[in-house]
Amino acid sequence: MSECDVVRERMPQLLVEAVEPMLREVSHQHVESCEGCGREWESMRAAWLALADIPELPVPAAVRERFLAEAARLSGEEKVVAFPVRRHWRWIAQAAAVVVLVGGGWFGGQQSAHRRPATIEPPIVALSENVTIDAARVNPSFLGRPAVQNVRFTPVGTDRVELSFDVTSHVTVAGRPDDAAVISLLSHVVENNQAATLARSSAIDWIEDIYRQRGSASPELIKAVANVLATDAQEGVRLRAVDALTRLSGLAPEVQLALVDALKNDPNPGVRMKAIEALANLVKSGTGLDPAAIDTLRDKAVQDDENLYVRVKAAETLSQIDL
Amino acid sequence: MKHLSDQELMKLVQAGDFSPAAEIFDRYSTRIYNFAYRFLKSSEAAEDATQEVFVKMLKHAKQFHGDAKLSTWLFSIAANLCRDHLRKADNKAKESDETLVMLPSGDDSPERRLEIRENELRVQKALEQLTPEQREAILLSRYQGLSYAEIAQIAGCSEGAVKTRVFRAMETLKKALSGRAKGEAECLNAM
Repeated sequence: MSECDVVRERMPQLLVEAVEPMLREVSHQHVESCEGCGREWESMRAAWLALADIPELPVPAAVRERFLAEAARLSGEEKVVAFPVRRHWRWIAQAAAVVVLVGGGWFGGQQSAHRRPATIEPPIVALSENVTIDAARVNPSFLGRPAVQNVRFTPVGTDRVELSFDVTSHVTVAGRPDDAAVISLLSHVVENNQAATLARSSAIDWIEDIYRQRGSASPELIKAVANVLATDAQEGVRLRAVDALTRLSGLAPEVQLALVDALKNDPNPGVRMKAIEALANLVKSGTGLDPAAIDTLRDKAVQDDENLYVRVKAAETLSQIDL
Repeated sequence: MKHLSDQELMKLVQAGDFSPAAEIFDRYSTRIYNFAYRFLKSSEAAEDATQEVFVKMLKHAKQFHGDAKLSTWLFSIAANLCRDHLRKADNKAKESDETLVMLPSGDDSPERRLEIRENELRVQKALEQLTPEQREAILLSRYQGLSYAEIAQIAGCSEGAVKTRVFRAMETLKKALSGRAKGEAECLNAM
């Protein structure tokens, strides 16, 4: 994802000013300096304004009347008083209920004891493996018309054939965010350069959404996101990665290296600014910064050819550190 | 009732007192109705959905948590109802209800009335080109002013997914709505 793609995707949020001030400034700087994005911005604005050309419709009066009639009916049901049960009848009814429950439970247990199967642990499923299956065991209906690739056809003897292929099947792994398999899968998707950019970006967004609510993410996931920041070729993916690192707490010390590296070397000023924000969050949380991080912030604050907003942010962060 | 906050009104409802029902309806029904109408493209379906939203509000009041916004909760109910309505097979191919257009006031000139009607039809047709998920996201963002976090809560997806849906919706709407502007420019050039 190029910087243009990142800025264009952000345009609907820019229209309603739902972007952090510094990112907003960087985005508008880009729009002003890039002819293509400038045109896109104008047409996006025009469409946004055109959407306002529909008037707000009044609610038909009959809807209100019907609702209030239903509310009155429901209110009447709420006011119904339970039939009073005489004390001794209540005691007898409760005793009878206990007899029924206990007796029924014992009887049901007796009936099912002989049929109760031994507890069987579900098998551990491997998501990726080479498999050879006898044709008699394959369901011939091929539900879902799976996508097949790399097909090979091999005759074996006179009356057997082997049809080999890679098949894309849709797998859902359901579990808790702290399950080892979920963490490993998310790390794999995030770091898999073969996966589509959108899949990597979406996985990073999920990680940020889910684990921010839980308070922290596992070290494995944070390292995976830091690795993406350091190595991904797509600027939009790196921006999402540094965004996620800014918002996730529990950042391991080695992640500082990834943030400092991004601050020094990332070609995108938005990524560099977000890296400073992540370092500033560490300072606010009481985690000390490495000397290398502090030196890099100092260098950035005075670097003549650095983006002005990056320089200001670096200086602000330095002022918060007790040196 | 008018001086009570949403949370205070809902506390009464949760305690079994439905007297705030009219006030809550008056506060939010227009927004809910307009969302349902633009989403379902039918005035009849929108009326049913609107009534059902507020009935569910009464029946399931205990599910509302006081620290949340009532509007977000009501839009969650509305969005679920609208999605359920679309899922029913006989509703999928329904044509949009073009007869329900708010007539401009009598002070407007005939040309102005025609322009307003044309604009509304143009925007409505553009919205029909969106997927249900994109339409839901753009209606909640553009017309109801909800944040992406609120829309994500309503739609049951991540904020990133909401951002993508809104972006793709705007890409489609840009193309659909620019056709007329281009035509106008060509007319002006020809004059």
